[in-house]
Amino acid sequence: MPFAALVVLALVGAVGALAPAILPRDPNAMTGDTLSAISAAHPFGADYLGRDVLTRMAYGIKTSFIAGLAVAAIAMSAGLTCGLVAGYYGGWVEHLLMRTADALLILPGFFLALIVAFLFGGRLITVIMLLGLTGWPQIARIARAEVLSLKATEFVESARAAGASNARIVFREILPNALPPVLALMALLVSYGILSEASLSFLGVGDPNVISLGGMLSNGLQYATTAWWVPTFPGAAIFVLVLLLNIVGDGLSMALNPALTVASPGRSDR
Amino acid sequence: MSYRYVAGRLVQSLVLIGLVVSTAFVLIHVAPGDPVTYLYGGQAVSGDALARIRHAWGLDRPLWTQYTVYMGNMLRGDLGYSQINFQPVAAILGESLPNTLLLMIPSVLLAAVAGIVLGMTAARRPGTGADYAIGAVSLVSYATPPFWLSVIFIVVFASRLHWFPTQGMATLGATGGGLARVADVTWHMVLPLGVLAWWYSASFTRLTRAAVLEESRKYYLMTARMKGLSEFRVFYRHALRNAMRSVVTVLGVQLGTMFAGAVMTEIVFAWPGTGRVIYTAILQHDYPVVLGFFLVVGAAVILANLAVDVAYAIIDPRIRYA
Repeated sequence: MPFAALVVLALVGAVGALAPAILPRDPNAMTGDTLSAISAAHPFGADYLGRDVLTRMAYGIKTSFIAGLAVAAIAMSAGLTCGLVAGYYGGWVEHLLMRTADALLILPGFFLALIVAFLFGGRLITVIMLLGLTGWPQIARIARAEVLSLKATEFVESARAAGASNARIVFREILPNALPPVLALMALLVSYGILSEASLSFLGVGDPNVISLGGMLSNGLQYATTAWWVPTFPGAAIFVLVLLLNIVGDGLSMALNPALTVASPGRSDR
Repeated sequence: MSYRYVAGRLVQSLVLIGLVVSTAFVLIHVAPGDPVTYLYGGQAVSGDALARIRHAWGLDRPLWTQYTVYMGNMLRGDLGYSQINFQPVAAILGESLPNTLLLMIPSVLLAAVAGIVLGMTAARRPGTGADYAIGAVSLVSYATPPFWLSVIFIVVFASRLHWFPTQGMATLGATGGGLARVADVTWHMVLPLGVLAWWYSASFTRLTRAAVLEESRKYYLMTARMKGLSEFRVFYRHALRNAMRSVVTVLGVQLGTMFAGAVMTEIVFAWPGTGRVIYTAILQHDYPVVLGFFLVVGAAVILANLAVDVAYAIIDPRIRYA
């Protein structure tokens, strides 16, 4: 099931990436078919400017993928770096990083992103940076916990005895072993990125020059009762993407973090 | 209970709120343009007049003075004045917040009951068909963007079936008070409440299942069984009570996200809550309202987390401030 979901995701992503090459229409081309219903010419109908919903959706999916993957990459690298540094060095560095992480976890990160995007103009790159930087604390906490337990192991000890530098120990010895529980969150981070980008665009602080599924839904809102296909299909695309990512995420955490998902009676951690 | 823990959390929360307010202040000053240029920039106002307005509003004073004035105003609950709506921000938000809570609180309660029962059912029979079915449902509801489900509900239940109104909180021009008013609002509330409860319930289901499974390995449950308690009592009295701690803690952290969902649902249903306020304020570039909204949500989420933690410190003596 998770694997099938991953395959479907890859296919959808490929369609988004290749959209300009394979789709015959310009996503911004206005035809006379204003609010046209589902037809052979417009499989998912047309919006209030007569633009083809299916074509725009493909471009919106591309935006979603870019946003989701970039947000996950930023959150992942920032979280891993902070978690590794905090766990390895300890002391005031750890204190500072982890209190910052705690604060960001309690603060509503989405609204922080909303306000900054509102004040500074929500270019896609800004939105991605913001969401990435609000998503790292969780990763940092998990990475730090992993480092703390790995620091005391014999192989780290022997690397240090062999004269390895701190950087080498952190990146060559600890990092590969700390990765699995963090990677398990990858799919969820991507879905966080996709959903948040769509939500910001829905609220009107997204990038006006980029086609976003959230923005399409928001623009189609007033036609919900007269032309249901305009807001419904872009929203369905968000739903399907997030659902597939969550299925992949469940699969990842089951494969990488078996202790978290399986309850085996008689385990020692009471 | 540990007073040290409670005091520590209280100080931490106050510092956090101070940080949120300071962040807002810094953001306004770093953002391009200032309010005067924004409000009068496009109009035929002389540079001299602009300078006078800046002076009248204290925008020419040193940043530090502006900051202390700003913090003082916030402490008194003065969130600024909307030059677009000609109303204090606190009044605008104060008017709409109860409507948001009217929608959010019943949704959370409904979702909690449904989610806990479902999560418990799944955790009692891990690996069975019921567990998988509940898992699938919660996976779907977790992935449903609330603003999209709102559209679907409007299209199906309001526009096609005419069971419920498409938007608003009350029928326009309705004059009935008392029970008639309650019935009218309830009727308008069904769809948005359904959307939110469906979306919130996923978190409750998944968290309850995980937490109860975690508890079910522990010896005290075996003891409870050996005492001859029924399975129902073992799970609902013993396991659930301990599992609820992690459920509520995680929900505290998710409160911001839950609020975001409510905001977007309100927008689709034109519910007169904070969601509509923020949506309109963004469209109108009404800076004080957007910032005030951010401050109120930030403070509310921080205080809710504090309340959860303090409540647990009172209930559970094991908690210590770390």
